[in-house]
Amino acid sequence: MNKNDNLPEVNRRSFLKNTSLATVMAMMGGVELRAEEAAKPAASSEPALTPIPPPPPVHFGVIGLGTWGREVLNRLALLPNAPVVAICDNYPSSLRRVGTADAPKAERFDDYRKLLASKAVEAVVIATPTPDHREIVLAALQAGKHVYCEVPLAGTIEDAKAIARAARDAFKVVFQAGLQERSHPQRHFLLPFLRSGAIGQNVMARAQWHKKDSWLRTSSNPEHEKALNWRLHQATSTGLMGEIGIHQIDAVTWFLKGRPTAITGFGSNILWKDGRDVADTVQGVFEYPEGVRLVYDATLCNSFDSAYEMYYGSDAAVMVRDAKAWIFKEADAPLLGWEVYARKDLFYTETGIALVANATKQTAIGTSATAGNTTPFDSLYYALLAFAANAGQIGGAIKDYLDSYGDSDLKAMTDSLKTLKVEPAANWQEGLDATILAIKANEAVVKRQKVAVDKDLFEL
Amino acid sequence: MKLSKFFASLTSLLLGLGLAAQARAQTHYTTQPRGNIVKIEGTSSAHDWEMKGNIIGGFIELGPDVKFDPAASALPGLKGGKVPVKAHAFIPVRTMHSEADHLPEVMDHLMQETMKADQFTRIEFTLTDMTFKSPHAIGTPFAFDATGELSIAGTTNKVTFPITIEPVESDKIKVSGTVPLKMTSFGVTPPAPSFGLGLMRCGDDVKIIFEWILVERK
Repeated sequence: MNKNDNLPEVNRRSFLKNTSLATVMAMMGGVELRAEEAAKPAASSEPALTPIPPPPPVHFGVIGLGTWGREVLNRLALLPNAPVVAICDNYPSSLRRVGTADAPKAERFDDYRKLLASKAVEAVVIATPTPDHREIVLAALQAGKHVYCEVPLAGTIEDAKAIARAARDAFKVVFQAGLQERSHPQRHFLLPFLRSGAIGQNVMARAQWHKKDSWLRTSSNPEHEKALNWRLHQATSTGLMGEIGIHQIDAVTWFLKGRPTAITGFGSNILWKDGRDVADTVQGVFEYPEGVRLVYDATLCNSFDSAYEMYYGSDAAVMVRDAKAWIFKEADAPLLGWEVYARKDLFYTETGIALVANATKQTAIGTSATAGNTTPFDSLYYALLAFAANAGQIGGAIKDYLDSYGDSDLKAMTDSLKTLKVEPAANWQEGLDATILAIKANEAVVKRQKVAVDKDLFEL
Repeated sequence: MKLSKFFASLTSLLLGLGLAAQARAQTHYTTQPRGNIVKIEGTSSAHDWEMKGNIIGGFIELGPDVKFDPAASALPGLKGGKVPVKAHAFIPVRTMHSEADHLPEVMDHLMQETMKADQFTRIEFTLTDMTFKSPHAIGTPFAFDATGELSIAGTTNKVTFPITIEPVESDKIKVSGTVPLKMTSFGVTPPAPSFGLGLMRCGDDVKIIFEWILVERK
């Protein structure tokens, strides 16, 4: 059902479909608008277009209310059709910390099983520490909930496959892996461009994530502090490669349309010597088919130049940064045509041509490299937007099918679902692939050696 | 006393057996998921429009002697030209989608809103009468006039429309038909959406066109 290869038009159109005019207007001005505010009557000066209502609401539960879980709640509050009816964390102060702004009507639970037993909950976002995913995902699917599971799906290949298998077999519900970049409109604008050969022959890729941050979380409760810092220990963490790098490694793998066959890793604990056994600085070389390699590095010791990806081709290089991208052409590269009118940004001595939807419209993208663009929200917003839309649409279609025909011919059901216009989102297979790559990359870092990535690893 | 109880039991048993035999003799066709087509066609001030779907739920139960033999010149098992039959069919409203090149989602939303799909999730039809149209030409589908209760958007009306039935493979039948109706007769106001370039007014007359494949339940 994932139609990631032909989505730019559908995605943009569907995005508009799912968003009220008032929301779009506010977005263009960069004003944050919450669902409750968007529901207020429109001002009289608004054009008298027939309003397109958002899809029917899908009622959400959020499990895991740490830093990321609260980010999830914040984005869900911006969506017009994703009311949060339940939240859960097994640590009382985490539950208390969630204000009424992001989940004003949510019932609060201290046990995910109680949340899953609630009939009011149709879909859950699982934002707990990685080692807890397997148990909760399996229970949620068993309970008939649509599931959005953060990545990596798991810390071990065995757990990741158990999740993928359960997601594959849970044909009545939608499963989405939290590879949020796969839902971002800008990525879908870039995908056909990069694959069309516009940069010539693929030569190599490079990506980085730099942030000076200890990753250390503190709590007045020593036991809770230990639990909070699960990312710092190899027993519970896939390290920088798994917890952070997975998104960029997956993006490169997606764009290059091929899995790496081997990964060589390096890792050191250079700055944060506080008892952790997870490296604070890592490098990895990922070997893709036809001699193309990704060189990736991530560090918690320096924030210079933040995060981005570079794709190098024989005719041009492309930089992807936040929701923006630029192409840097070689002197002998063929003229594409449109770039004559596109915005140019100077990067030291190089000139980057802005690569965004509507790139020739200066008013839409601003006049500087850091100006706003046509996709003003972050990738988590778009991923949750897609999840809510797909859970509503696909979930409804599956129910209609089963109510009409029963479950004796599931192949026919799958065929009928293919006609639906789904929003771009990572499915269980893509989540599994990315998780396995992240786990193997972390293994390479821990062992400081080259590890093979056998294609059989990806089979269920 | 004992004898009367014996006869009462025997009578019940025979009646039960008789009813069971009759029930077994009915031919029960149930919907199946492949090959079904539903279209709703309409007009507007801008252009004609069409919604498509592929889900039809329900069943048809025919009298014991009704057989659709393509080589026969008549239909057996009728009672005074009427077909002994029970049938119910439904179409989930949200399974109907526009395939227009431009903004099909808008048409989907309009239809669902106009038909109050959140309250009345299905178009439903319960057959009350089916009359065979003769003469029947060998090798052609069997033709009927179907009468029943059609429910749309919370309003139920009695409707009559022509249908055909033909055997498909050894154990399936295909029921085809067209139901002409007016939106306003079902309390539905023809939508008049504005797309910014002007107002589009939908016409009152629409047609529901269907091809429904059912399989014999044995």
